[in-house]
Amino acid sequence: MKLNTSKYWLCALVFTATLLSCSNDDDNDMEPIAMATCDDGIMNGDETGVDCGGSCEPCEIMSMDPDFSGTYAQVDFMGRPGINTVLSANGDIKDMHNQAIPSEMGAMFQPGFETQLEALHDAYAIALGLTAADVDYQPNILGDILNGPDDDGFTNNPVSAEVLTTVLATDVIEVAPNAPTTYFNPGAGAPTYDGGIGLTGRTPQDDIIDVSLILLFGGGDGARFNGEGGLPLLVSDGVSLTAILSDSFPYLGNPE
Amino acid sequence: MKKTTKVSLCIGTLMAATAIFVAADHIDAPGSMGTSADIADYFAFEPTTGSDNTVFLVDLQSDVLPELAYGTFDEDVLTEINIDTDDDLVEDLVIQAIPRDGRMYFFGPVAPSATGRGSEVAINSPLGDVAISGSTAIVETTSNGVSLFAGPRQDPFYFDFFRFNEVVAPSPEDNSGFNNPGMDTFDGANTMTIAVEVPNTLLGQTTATNVLGVPVYKTWVTTNRKQ
Repeated sequence: MKLNTSKYWLCALVFTATLLSCSNDDDNDMEPIAMATCDDGIMNGDETGVDCGGSCEPCEIMSMDPDFSGTYAQVDFMGRPGINTVLSANGDIKDMHNQAIPSEMGAMFQPGFETQLEALHDAYAIALGLTAADVDYQPNILGDILNGPDDDGFTNNPVSAEVLTTVLATDVIEVAPNAPTTYFNPGAGAPTYDGGIGLTGRTPQDDIIDVSLILLFGGGDGARFNGEGGLPLLVSDGVSLTAILSDSFPYLGNPE
Repeated sequence: MKKTTKVSLCIGTLMAATAIFVAADHIDAPGSMGTSADIADYFAFEPTTGSDNTVFLVDLQSDVLPELAYGTFDEDVLTEINIDTDDDLVEDLVIQAIPRDGRMYFFGPVAPSATGRGSEVAINSPLGDVAISGSTAIVETTSNGVSLFAGPRQDPFYFDFFRFNEVVAPSPEDNSGFNNPGMDTFDGANTMTIAVEVPNTLLGQTTATNVLGVPVYKTWVTTNRKQ
């Protein structure tokens, strides 16, 4: 107790001395003492570290590199937008997808994706008063672009449900380092698709939902379920970009 | 099984399956949905025609629905951009990002110590770091021409999600598909963006091509939680 009391008084004295020093306009009285104390290589006076803190310069926070050690395990996965969402039949499959790696995705997800693509068509068949067999996926416009305008889109088109879902099951996005980024552009449209190109990346502007819908439901001319003649509108969700973008890095607008 | 029964089952399954999901990858799966590691979206593009850079944007989390995790990068979540340059669907390069104390630290592009589901931070290949922005973007540009950003941004994704959930479960009473015009569910939504723009020289040549024969990097993004 006595010791504590002494310590207290010592502290008070130091504190008072510091106050007096600080209130003294004549710096010459203070500096030699401060310089000597703050430069002597030991922690003394009112320093909180060696030659720092208290009436010396503030102590620098120890500059240590952040700790990045440890192992990390995959939680979520994404490549091409939307496909896993539309063509996975349930949440379990989506969880499986997020735990998968691209090299195993084709075998793992293609059969289910194809079933789901047909199931979506079957659902519309029933809703339209037809039988499931009446409405199937039809090869899409990618086939015409790849094969050229001679293909009528219905007989020789190679992009069957199996081919399409095989491509889509492997969930990677391709970005070309030396070509303009085009997610997908049908060019002049059916039947020639002049200038049609794509698969060179994805920008925030791209209407990836409409593109995906056209490839899944658009058939050989891209406009199969176009909302006309009693058919549902399945080739566009009817919305366009609403967010503000930026021309410069990081290319997305300030939060709203 | 009779066809009608099968179709009814299909429809039932569809309705059950589509009650809650959102594209592009927003809130996509029960296991990651709404967590701090939930990937919302991913973009990879050439910033301007003829540019020798490639931009990668990763959107984590989203405030499109009120109950979702949003607003803070998780120090236990490592975001990894994977790049395949030889068409075997295995990452040859990774660019990593992980936050510490208000800054986002980037590593790579570098060959990962291990491919697949497990990762470690490539501490010997630091790319740079940047203060995590508030509502105004803080951008760091490194001496080798890399631009870095991390912080909240407008979610650029657009989709009539609520109508979509009805479209995939049509009925005799409602079988008209999407509306035109529709309504963008993501109008007004924000996301936590990690952005990196790198000179292609840092990524090197690629022998992978798309179906049109154009050389491409094949890329995907993962989030990875500390074990």
